[in-house]
Amino acid sequence: METTISIYPKNLPGDFAIWIFIFAELLVFGIFFIAYAFARSYNVELFNTSQATLIQEFGAINTIVLITSSYFVVQAVAAIKNNKDQICVNWLGAALFMGAIFLFVKIIEFHEKISAGISMSTNLFYMFYLSLTFFHFMHVILGMIILAAILLKARQGGYSATNHTGVETGASYWHMVDLIWIILFPLVYIIH
Amino acid sequence: MTLSSTISWSILILLTIFAFIFGGFELGNMTIVSIILLSTIIKSQIVIDYFMGLHQVRWQWRIILYSWLLLVVGMIGLAYWLGLQ
Repeated sequence: METTISIYPKNLPGDFAIWIFIFAELLVFGIFFIAYAFARSYNVELFNTSQATLIQEFGAINTIVLITSSYFVVQAVAAIKNNKDQICVNWLGAALFMGAIFLFVKIIEFHEKISAGISMSTNLFYMFYLSLTFFHFMHVILGMIILAAILLKARQGGYSATNHTGVETGASYWHMVDLIWIILFPLVYIIH
Repeated sequence: MTLSSTISWSILILLTIFAFIFGGFELGNMTIVSIILLSTIIKSQIVIDYFMGLHQVRWQWRIILYSWLLLVVGMIGLAYWLGLQ
């Protein structure tokens, strides 16, 4: 039998609707990041002084945690493509666990700042820092809800090698959450 | 070139540790900022191509994400350069 190899690349993974959502989210975060950077260019001393109060280790740990959770989601997609639904469930569970660690670290960080009397009205840096990281925090929660729903369906045998669009859809959203943090981390915690 | 997901993950972790250590140097100049932003572009490109799996999709879709990435990081670099003036 002759095997035909398509010369045309694939379409976007998962449901196309999620990509409309992803492009819109990236646009919003992109504007937010650029606004932060230009606001800083007019208030360099204020931003550098305030940024120095952040615990960079928290940001670095959360970056490693999110990247690792994304890696686990990649493994979950690979497992379901090979019809291994129980392995897919395990990888999704591991990704959710990493998501929970991210939230835990962020809650410690928020608590530390709020306990020190810092709020969005303290200064321009903290307005950006708190609103950007909290906005992203809410996206992590939404991503975890999506992954949990996929995990439950996968556990009931709802996906297979020929029917895994749902897993790819959730995975694409989760990778977007990771992608945003990869830019947010150096912007808010590192470069000064 | 294609990277396995484990190699991609390893590069992402190494670049994160690099940015964390390098950013700790008290050398607030454009060279440091540029190197960290370049490492951010590399990390983002790995996530887009090998985690999201876009290295196999039509270029029209990839170009949207690459344009977004280069525009955002480029504007951040420009703003930091302006802040040094």
